[in-house]
Amino acid sequence: MAKTASVTDKPIQIRVFPKRLLLPETAEKILNEIDHVKGVIRMLINGKNLPRKVTFGPGTGSDVNHPGRIIIHVGGCAFELHVVVGEILVEVEDESAVEELKKACERALPFSFEFKRGHFIKRRPTLTDYGKYGFKSKTDESINLEDERILGLVDPHAKVETNLCMVKAEDSNT
Amino acid sequence: MAYKPQYYPGNTSPAKNRRKHMSNDLEKMRDVSDEDLTAILGHRAPGSDYPSTHPPLSEMGEPDDPVREVVEPTPGAAAGDRVRYVQFADSMYNAPATPYFRSYHAAINFRGVDPGTLSGREVNEMRERDLEEFSKRVCETEITDWGLAGMRGCTVHGHSLRLQEDGTMFDMLDRRRLEGGSIVMDKDQVGVPIDRKVNLGKPISEAEAAKRTTMYRVDNVPFRSDKEVVEHVQRVWELRTRYGFQPKA
Repeated sequence: MAKTASVTDKPIQIRVFPKRLLLPETAEKILNEIDHVKGVIRMLINGKNLPRKVTFGPGTGSDVNHPGRIIIHVGGCAFELHVVVGEILVEVEDESAVEELKKACERALPFSFEFKRGHFIKRRPTLTDYGKYGFKSKTDESINLEDERILGLVDPHAKVETNLCMVKAEDSNT
Repeated sequence: MAYKPQYYPGNTSPAKNRRKHMSNDLEKMRDVSDEDLTAILGHRAPGSDYPSTHPPLSEMGEPDDPVREVVEPTPGAAAGDRVRYVQFADSMYNAPATPYFRSYHAAINFRGVDPGTLSGREVNEMRERDLEEFSKRVCETEITDWGLAGMRGCTVHGHSLRLQEDGTMFDMLDRRRLEGGSIVMDKDQVGVPIDRKVNLGKPISEAEAAKRTTMYRVDNVPFRSDKEVVEHVQRVWELRTRYGFQPKA
């Protein structure tokens, strides 16, 4: 049986899909609310890209300076938003965290949102991941990663450092 | 009795708005000065002369041609202006116009225009001074709500996205944004910064947008609620299918 990317046997994945695209302030608020929920393993934010420079047309090379591309703080970790947040995927440990997560979203979002359970982030390494990270050793064919939770959070071709934020909880690394 | 065009069938509000757009019977919503308009179009510096691509027609000594005598050239063509473009994207969330009705509006009411209709954007090409006259009409009237539409020469992405929290359509290049309750634009249509902030007025409310839109939507006025329009569309489809049918020997 292959190892799962999650720390527990049966993690639950939730997709939070707000009615509107979020301003950075609201995104910061909801991410912090979710971060405070006990049992959150990892979360992934998706949205439309906010480029630094115009990449197409006669204005190519001009600075965009989009007001949505700012630094936000989540769980004591600062990172720059590269997207306008349109969707948040959250993986939680068990059933008890789901209701808390929903309440956290209700507190943070001033409008309605979809709250769906499903399979949104990969749980097992794929061929591309093995291509990128390789096996642990000749005898151990598990993926050569210290923490498998980063699987599915970052595109295999993207740089991990600029796209991933590790938040340390009080009792454990999450 | 003089012929009166009917433009479009139907009794629902989108049908009425479609007739308004096609007939150019549009309410003026805001003022955009000529200089501001030239700046956001980005084709020439405000106040500068129109660059030309050929001498004025009056100086060219055109050959005898009955069609040339019948058709009066547009001011831009007569002066030899360059052909330039303006492109708009309209949100699917009840923006007043859609690409098709922008094209109908341009083709029915303006001369020397080449409309290009795409799924999420609509581009019009014409001679530069004709373009400015056309753009002014479009920018100032109810056909464009600057919160739900945008002048976008490139990177038009946004028409099919959810609206932003402030109720405006997403603009990846941040050409225009909501500031103090009004939409301001400080870049031209291709994202190059300009030397001014052009005030494009207040965006319309959600309820007002639902009234002014030319879109049928299930969450507003559903398409099937307008029997006359459904009948018309079915008739058009039937006739074009018959016309396109080519029995082979």
